[in-house]
Amino acid sequence: MSNKESNINVWVDEVKYETEDSLTVLELLREIGTDIPTLCHLKDISTTGSCRICLVEDQGSGKLVAACNTPITDGMRIETNNKRVRETRIMNLELLLSDHEVDCPSCIKNKDCELRQITEAMGIREVSFPGEKNEFKKDISSPSIRRDPAKCINCGRCVNVCQNIQTVNVLAAEGRGFTTRIGPVFYNELANSACVMCGQCAAACPTGAITEKENISDVWKVLNDPKKHVIVQTAPAVRVALAEEFDEEPGTAATGQMVTALKKMGFNNVFDTQFTADLTIMEEGTELINRIKNNGDLPLFTSCSPGWINFIETFYPEYLEHLSSCKSPQQMFGALANSYYLEKNKLSSDELVVVSIMPCTAKKYEANRPEMINDVDYVLTTRELGQMIKQMGIDLFDLPESDYDKIMGSSTGAAAIFGATGGVMEAALRTAYELLTGKELPGIDFQEARGLSSGIKEAEVEINDLKLRVAVAHGLSNAREILEAMKAGKEYHFVEFMTCPGGCIGGGGQPISREIGVLEKRLEAIYDIDKKKELRKSHENPEIQLLYNEYLKEPGSELAHKLLHTEYSSQSIY
Amino acid sequence: MVRFNSADEVQFFRDNLQSESENNLETEIVVGLGTCGIASGAKDTLEAIEKELEWKNIKDIKISQTGCMGYCVGEPLVEIRQGDARVLYKNIKDFKVEELLQQHLIEGNIVERWQVDEDLDFFKAQKRIVLKNCGLIDPESIDDAISNGAYKGLVKAITEMDQEDIVNEITVSKLRGRGGGGFPTGMKWKFALDSSGEKKYVVCNADEGDPGAFMDRSILEGDPHRLIEGMIIAGYAIGANYGYVYCRAEYPLAIKRLRKAIEDAEEYGLLGEDILSSGFDFNLKIRLGAGAFVCGEETALLASLEGQRGEPKPRPPYPPQKGYKGYPTVINNVETLANVSDIIYKGRRWFKSIGTEDSPGTKVFALAGKVKNNGLVEVPMGTKLGDIVFDIGGGLINDGKFKAAQTGGPSGGCIPIEHLNVPVDYDSLKELGTIMGSGGLIVMDQQDCMVDLAKYFIDFCKDESCGKCTPCRIGTTRMLEILDKITKGEGEQEDLDLLLDMGEKIQDSSFCGLGQTAPNPVISTARYFMDEYKAHIEDNYCESSRCASMFDSPCQNSCPANVDVPKYIDLVRQGRYKDAYKEIQRENPLVLVCGRVCYNLCEPSCNRRSLDEGIAIRELKRFVSDIVPKIEGGYPIPKIKSEKNEQVAVIGSGPAGLTAAFYLRKQGYQVKIFEASSVLGGLLAVGIPEFRLPQDKLNEEITVLTTMGVEVEIETEIGKDITFEELRKEGYKAVYLAVGTHNDIDIGIEGEKLDGVYNAIELLKKINLGQSIDMSGKKVAVVGGGNAAIDVARNAVRMNTDEVNIIYRRRKEEMPAHGEEVEEAEYEKVNMYTQVNPVKILGEKGKVSGLECVRIEEGEFDYSGRRRPKTIENSNFELDVDIVVLAIGQNVDDMFNSGDLNIGMTDNNLIKVNENKQTNIPWIFAGGDCITGPSTVVESIKQGKDVAREIDIYLGGDGEIISPSEIEREVSGKIIEEEKPQVKMPKILLSQRIKSFKEIEKGYSEEQAQEEASRCLRCDVENK
Repeated sequence: MSNKESNINVWVDEVKYETEDSLTVLELLREIGTDIPTLCHLKDISTTGSCRICLVEDQGSGKLVAACNTPITDGMRIETNNKRVRETRIMNLELLLSDHEVDCPSCIKNKDCELRQITEAMGIREVSFPGEKNEFKKDISSPSIRRDPAKCINCGRCVNVCQNIQTVNVLAAEGRGFTTRIGPVFYNELANSACVMCGQCAAACPTGAITEKENISDVWKVLNDPKKHVIVQTAPAVRVALAEEFDEEPGTAATGQMVTALKKMGFNNVFDTQFTADLTIMEEGTELINRIKNNGDLPLFTSCSPGWINFIETFYPEYLEHLSSCKSPQQMFGALANSYYLEKNKLSSDELVVVSIMPCTAKKYEANRPEMINDVDYVLTTRELGQMIKQMGIDLFDLPESDYDKIMGSSTGAAAIFGATGGVMEAALRTAYELLTGKELPGIDFQEARGLSSGIKEAEVEINDLKLRVAVAHGLSNAREILEAMKAGKEYHFVEFMTCPGGCIGGGGQPISREIGVLEKRLEAIYDIDKKKELRKSHENPEIQLLYNEYLKEPGSELAHKLLHTEYSSQSIY
Repeated sequence: MVRFNSADEVQFFRDNLQSESENNLETEIVVGLGTCGIASGAKDTLEAIEKELEWKNIKDIKISQTGCMGYCVGEPLVEIRQGDARVLYKNIKDFKVEELLQQHLIEGNIVERWQVDEDLDFFKAQKRIVLKNCGLIDPESIDDAISNGAYKGLVKAITEMDQEDIVNEITVSKLRGRGGGGFPTGMKWKFALDSSGEKKYVVCNADEGDPGAFMDRSILEGDPHRLIEGMIIAGYAIGANYGYVYCRAEYPLAIKRLRKAIEDAEEYGLLGEDILSSGFDFNLKIRLGAGAFVCGEETALLASLEGQRGEPKPRPPYPPQKGYKGYPTVINNVETLANVSDIIYKGRRWFKSIGTEDSPGTKVFALAGKVKNNGLVEVPMGTKLGDIVFDIGGGLINDGKFKAAQTGGPSGGCIPIEHLNVPVDYDSLKELGTIMGSGGLIVMDQQDCMVDLAKYFIDFCKDESCGKCTPCRIGTTRMLEILDKITKGEGEQEDLDLLLDMGEKIQDSSFCGLGQTAPNPVISTARYFMDEYKAHIEDNYCESSRCASMFDSPCQNSCPANVDVPKYIDLVRQGRYKDAYKEIQRENPLVLVCGRVCYNLCEPSCNRRSLDEGIAIRELKRFVSDIVPKIEGGYPIPKIKSEKNEQVAVIGSGPAGLTAAFYLRKQGYQVKIFEASSVLGGLLAVGIPEFRLPQDKLNEEITVLTTMGVEVEIETEIGKDITFEELRKEGYKAVYLAVGTHNDIDIGIEGEKLDGVYNAIELLKKINLGQSIDMSGKKVAVVGGGNAAIDVARNAVRMNTDEVNIIYRRRKEEMPAHGEEVEEAEYEKVNMYTQVNPVKILGEKGKVSGLECVRIEEGEFDYSGRRRPKTIENSNFELDVDIVVLAIGQNVDDMFNSGDLNIGMTDNNLIKVNENKQTNIPWIFAGGDCITGPSTVVESIKQGKDVAREIDIYLGGDGEIISPSEIEREVSGKIIEEEKPQVKMPKILLSQRIKSFKEIEKGYSEEQAQEEASRCLRCDVENK
């Protein structure tokens, strides 16, 4: 509240505040610590003003206004909690509850459900409106996302994420009046839509209307089957977020405890997706160098993020040639588990079950893609892992730390940063630069690719006489922007695309938190892991070196291609 | 090809067109081809005209089309013009064309019976600005439009004014948004003018979605150039080069004509690039909406225009700052824009001279509902609602009684009868809790249930909610659910409380105008008609017979005596006459009486009326009472339940007394009727003329009671011949006072004591009791318009009088007497002096020699919805009369209070009772006219039943006085759904009437009765 010139006076509950004039009422209230309930509002994503819960009284006009989308004006007087405000909020809340499938104890969203939290805070004991409820069918068609419109409160948060943040435009309101339904257009099921399964809608949803499709019971089943040999891999972003499921401070890394927990759950071996992240760098870096050397299709697009793959296949199939042929680290792991690991441990493929713990809902779909259906069996999100640990009655932070198991458990700092936007780019540059120039990337930390402040980050890296133009995009609207810029003539050599804002740390399967700065804290934790690693470049990973030496021979070898690479094709439905 | 390059060229062109048409004496036949016309068959009419002219080989006649003339009730409308002479014909269906053309064109006669009287208030009371050319010009001819003044405003704006001037002119004119909100148009334009934007837009909201509103459509269909011109001026004023008309796709004709008009205007250089060489470009396009009510809300409209879902967006920013695609945009309604050209051309002073200070100009209303002249009318702002309904609208159809008018559609509210004086302008309507809206004006009568109305509108809003915000999406559904519960008779007081509470909160918290106004009809009807809500909840009763779950049939529901009409009608159809009598008698012991004199309150609610005519319920009842004694030798006598010892005295043998005596005796009580007069029947005997209810017939029915064991004592007046105390001593455990209202109210003018002045009841008694009154050769004046006045007059007609006059201070339609009686009186040559009041009875030698009267004009509407009579100064005139009968009302003759026991009375000299019909003395009950004031026979029967029930309870009974029906509710024959009018009651001729007191109605034959009975639709049977 510094800029004197544009400062105005606003009275909140009869207390005067001098403040900037660019704020909304809600922003002001949050700034001065006056909490009012909100439902449809989601910072930076949604200000639809549709739920009518954040109402305050504007004494000037005598009207109730939605705090979330009403700008403050000089001399404004706001009442945030008088009888009229309170009773109206309660009515609207009761109306929402009257058309909501109330099964809170068994609802997947129970703890994180904002509707339940507000209902509790408002002390609603009985809903005044017995009446008809919408009878919408559940949509379980997607391998990643589960929709239960009977729990939808039409807040529009998912619509805003899907349309504005991801520009996928799958979710929209349809119909009129009481039967207005939010879902895939033309009343489709998700599986018949252009959904990229990023799960950002699930992360945005305040209730249990959109969630990940759980595989918890499937995994318990194989863990309890003595005939099965079950191994698990954990993605880089999971370890910096899992703690939040146990109410620890965001940004608390819990790698060791997580490994212990997984072992306690009965996994035969606990491995790290970071191992195959390092491998991805070897393969993708080689591909980049080859494309540059051989005048191949440039720019090269990264291919680790399955939502992004879905996006380009659906909306920009004409650019598929630019996509790296590398499988994602999850799928590389699955492929190696079913070959390298199988052979080494003399297991039959019937015995082996490969489970992934991912921050991502699209990974569930990826594991089921026909191109690589045999690599990974089950994918659990960070939230599901947290749930399973809780089912065992374990508090994660009571556990001792353990290390990942050998041959696919070691990783470098380069692999750790895969979990953040710009991470793949930085990791690739660390290796490619060194392989091409024989020198270490100056400063090793490639700051231009880091951070959340802009959705598109661009840089130029001089490698010998080549000025390598690179870009990083996170969030699909930014991906779209880059592709549209390319259509208009913009040129790059190498572009990293991540589906979710912030990269995997902001994945659709991560713990749900409405606190400000959570992503930043997860990001910090990731870079901290990188910094503390002895080895920070993928090609230095000894297990990777061993893998090439004893199995794959060299990056891009025939076997490497068979196991670690794939092809994508147009999925355009438009 | 015409293309104007300058303003002068437009004027030159117009002058040419006008002089051409002035010199043209060619006959023109114009057919109204608005949607209303086409729907009524105007296209067939047009085709018939073309064929007929060809057949008759008439040449040199121009046939043209025009838009809606407003008089939709008269469609198809055909106007024949010859120079300045114009004759407008109504309801010209194709089969009338031959005769019309033969008479008008060949014989040269005006066909008066089809002619629309241009002197009708419908036309005279209107002030047409925006509708000026509608119904006059060919909407598909730009030349016609230009010839009639189109584009004059545009020419002036472009040649003489700059942007600021125009915006200022509109601002100062105080033009307000005609879409309903009433926002100052100039202010909106000013915001847009002051907003900077690479582009600006003018959008016309033609998404007319209010049920019952069709003014925008008619303008588009009838005079599209007026809108186009307004939009160009708006664009010029704010600096917009692009315009959109957002019109609902359900208006194909409007769209077609508008499209043609746009093309023509473009061709003439009035629209498009460099208009009239001014350098100003304006491109106008039509965008079709899918007909979502919410798209009338401007931000939702813009979203739809942009190709998005029609959902509202937060304001600010307001469209004049950031509108269509983020550019400054002015959104105005069709009617608003249609006012612009005249304001610019004629100036703000002219505009402000019309209407009121804060709402200048006119407003177009779509008059719909139960009003006679359904159609489109344009009136100056501030016109009284009552004037619109009764003068322009011609009052209500089917002699209905005005109940309320709904303005503003689902966003509005209702205006009840007591507010007919409200000037129709934005602010006055708001004070009454409704809004002007876009101009839908739906008139409702007593058959319209206000709870049902509220339900209808909430249902509409519930369906039309965009679903974005919680209160509108879910709240309207919850309101509908509660209303549904109430209309099914399942509502509780708490439901109503919740309904109103949530209504307010939905208004308070909804995102946009739709939700903010959706509860209005509920809140407004609850404000004025809380009694109806309460009746639905507490008594499970819908007075208007709309809420069908509350009753078996609307006729039974509206019968005060609760007679199960469809059952007995069906029994008549089956020829089971005795059963029919018993079925009626169960609820109404005076079958014969009601068959003759009931004012069939049931018939207006008959569903058959929407098909052809209502069932002749009374006539069928009469038939039953005629035929039963013929075939059975008498009337069926109901069984006495079980003899009881308690004695009950009934004072008065009018319908209330007889009914109570019947039910109390049936319960087993020892009942005795005390009658002051020498005959039984009260006013039935001494008030109702012989020619309507013969005394011997009445006695036949009373015989049923005496056969049952009811004792009677005539010529015994309470308070005079016997006292309450004596009755008590004689062992009467309860007394029912049913003394009626036999005391005539004095009028209080000079000359009342003169010889030849009578009071109505007094006179009727004398006539009915056969006491000789010589009226032969006399001139009679009867003062009053009630049933007593009419009865006196009709009696007098039969007494060899010279002339009989009725003197009444209001209009004939407003007489409290039953409409049919008034008609009959007129038929019998009674003169009606209406809007006349007596001031003095003139006398000579102690005898009446004349009546001095004044003329009355109509003042404001009073609380009963009638215009208050106002004396016209110096309008006195004298009527030459010999007899004056005063019939202005009656109250209770409280002779009974001459003893020691004193019965409490009201201020109006009626008997005061509690909810159990007890007077201040618990064992004395009262009911009938003596507690309500003069009422109907059937209402008295209801009162008699109510009192019988209360006395039974008082004496220890269960109050179950009605025996259950023995007839099953089922359809026994085919239901005739084809049109089939009522079988008319045969009557004696006029020549016979004036000679005697012979009963006028002859009654149905058996064949006629069965034919009429077969018309019943059996609304009472659920699964037919």
